[in-house]
Amino acid sequence: MVPSGPAPGQSPCGTTGRILYSAARMPPTYPDQSAAFAALERRLAARRWNALDARSRVVFAALAALLSGFFYWQARVPLDGWVRAHGAVGGAKWLAIAMAVWAIAAGAIAAWRQDALAARVPGSEWLALPVDPARVMRHLLGESRLPALAAIPLALATLAAGAGLVPAWWLALLAAGFAVAWIECTRLAAAAARALAVRRSRHASLPPAVRLLASARRTTTERRRPAPRWLAEGGWRALQHLDLRLTRTPGPAQARMGTALALLGVSLAAWFANAEPLQRRAIAFAAFLPAATALGAWAITRACGDPAAAMRPLPLTLKDTYRARFTTIAVVLGFAIVANVAIASGLSPALRVGTALTWAACGLAVAALGLQYGLTLHPRALAAENLYFGWLGVTLMASWMIPLLGWAVLVAGLVHSGVRLRRWWTSEAV
Amino acid sequence: MLEISGLERRYGARVALAGVSFDVQPGEIVGLLGANGAGKSTLLRTAAGLQPPDAGRVRVAGHDVWESPLEARRALGYAAEEPAFHEELSAAEYLSFVSSVRALEPVAAEARMRALAGALELGARLDDPVRGYSHGMRKKLSFIAAVLHRPQVLLCDEALEGFDAPSALAAKAELRTRAREGCAVLFSSHVTETVERLCDRVVMLRHGRVARELSRADWGAGTEEHSPLERAFLDMVTEGAAE
Repeated sequence: MVPSGPAPGQSPCGTTGRILYSAARMPPTYPDQSAAFAALERRLAARRWNALDARSRVVFAALAALLSGFFYWQARVPLDGWVRAHGAVGGAKWLAIAMAVWAIAAGAIAAWRQDALAARVPGSEWLALPVDPARVMRHLLGESRLPALAAIPLALATLAAGAGLVPAWWLALLAAGFAVAWIECTRLAAAAARALAVRRSRHASLPPAVRLLASARRTTTERRRPAPRWLAEGGWRALQHLDLRLTRTPGPAQARMGTALALLGVSLAAWFANAEPLQRRAIAFAAFLPAATALGAWAITRACGDPAAAMRPLPLTLKDTYRARFTTIAVVLGFAIVANVAIASGLSPALRVGTALTWAACGLAVAALGLQYGLTLHPRALAAENLYFGWLGVTLMASWMIPLLGWAVLVAGLVHSGVRLRRWWTSEAV
Repeated sequence: MLEISGLERRYGARVALAGVSFDVQPGEIVGLLGANGAGKSTLLRTAAGLQPPDAGRVRVAGHDVWESPLEARRALGYAAEEPAFHEELSAAEYLSFVSSVRALEPVAAEARMRALAGALELGARLDDPVRGYSHGMRKKLSFIAAVLHRPQVLLCDEALEGFDAPSALAAKAELRTRAREGCAVLFSSHVTETVERLCDRVVMLRHGRVARELSRADWGAGTEEHSPLERAFLDMVTEGAAE
């Protein structure tokens, strides 16, 4: 006997022409999935830990120790003066504000991560499972908190700066307060980021969690692209044109190049500030250096963004891929330096030449570091960026501690990543 | 034209390729058959220079893929099993880049691209961003990129999977044309019927080793249920299970 189905035009529920899904009217009940999610999260944690080799673990531990030490001393000296002027209670208030700043910073990191996850979450795969979407959202909250963990050792190092200056029970209280603040700040910031992501998403009639999952990984632009020019350039020139084409298209490469160009604009504008010539140069350099950093991040995005399956069978060498990106970086920085030197009013010719040479060496070294990390860590852009910004952070701290030590650290980074460049040939990503 | 000798590849403790050796002559289409996990994709990715072998060598048009990568890749075309592209670009932009990297004559390359895209029914979508492409369209794009420069050696990893029937016919015609013009084609597939119709010779992989190498004359007779090559393939799989 053939089972009778719904009549034509009638839904399986029997309501003619009505939408099947209505969460408000018929809320689905899900079994307790806590154990499954706990197991998933344990496995993810184990996999991430195992993905780090012993050397990377030592490097990250050393970086954490170095950064913690840096923040300890950065807090210790002013706190000592503050306690002398305002007493132990004043010192405790100083530390409370510092802890609040760290908690807010952790919240900002979690919000940034949540925003990224909301766009990239495998929505259809989650929706295909009989899983409570709200539970998926809680899982994503946990994921977005992970990078915010980095704030904890730094905050504790800042707190440790109060040892001997502020009563120990105050420090214990502040530590407990920071723990609560960290949890709440990351939760609220991630919730805010998620709410914004939901507002940007489509399918307004769906519950927020379902709406977010249903809209994730959606195509943002389906517009037809202009017909390309067909050229026969070969090697690095073709790759450079590809980079420029991708940089003109909305995406991470465009965002990073846009940031670099905006900062270079700021460095040029600094020469019109009402200040002494050397002060103007310092302000201009303060914008130029982050611009070079953004160019390094652009190089990482481009170097890591080339899909291996499409690019590796092509007749391109490591030299081609390096040259294509380095030439673009050199051209952008070269124009910026020439423009800066040309409008550097009040500087003698010798100073202008010195400025151009120093800025060129510094800018190229910083951006090349990003390029080298991008090539050696292809296709792991996030890992390359973490290493790049981490190394530049150490460079910055080193130059604050001992003059010229920053240069030594930067050169060490360049040599280290340069030695690893040959790994590009054996990148097994497909 | 394509020489694979003593190729070994491990993923941790798992052996994916254990001393694979065979060659493909100019004008020959060789089918690569094997059960899931037999090492077909590993073999093709290694031959294409996407991942280094642990031992052994691959020579493409006389050039070692790892010692003379540039020369080898100039002679090579590779249609990937899981193609990946710059998602923001259109197919035309991607193919113009491939053409430019290979320093093809622009007018002729564009005309060839349009002819291939038309034959594979991709012509109307050439200017759409790749991110909007279906799996089959991506496979077609990968196939076009692999044959655009009329390579001397062509590696096809499940290349026709996801193709609609007219496009599959056009792609097979293109493969035969490549072979007639002297290209050595290594064609991996799960579909024995396609291999049977298209290929001159078949290499069967089992547990990372060459289990059988059959020419058309060796395929023997089929049964009522199975075609000759299907029968030979099933025999090979059964032998493997019995070992």
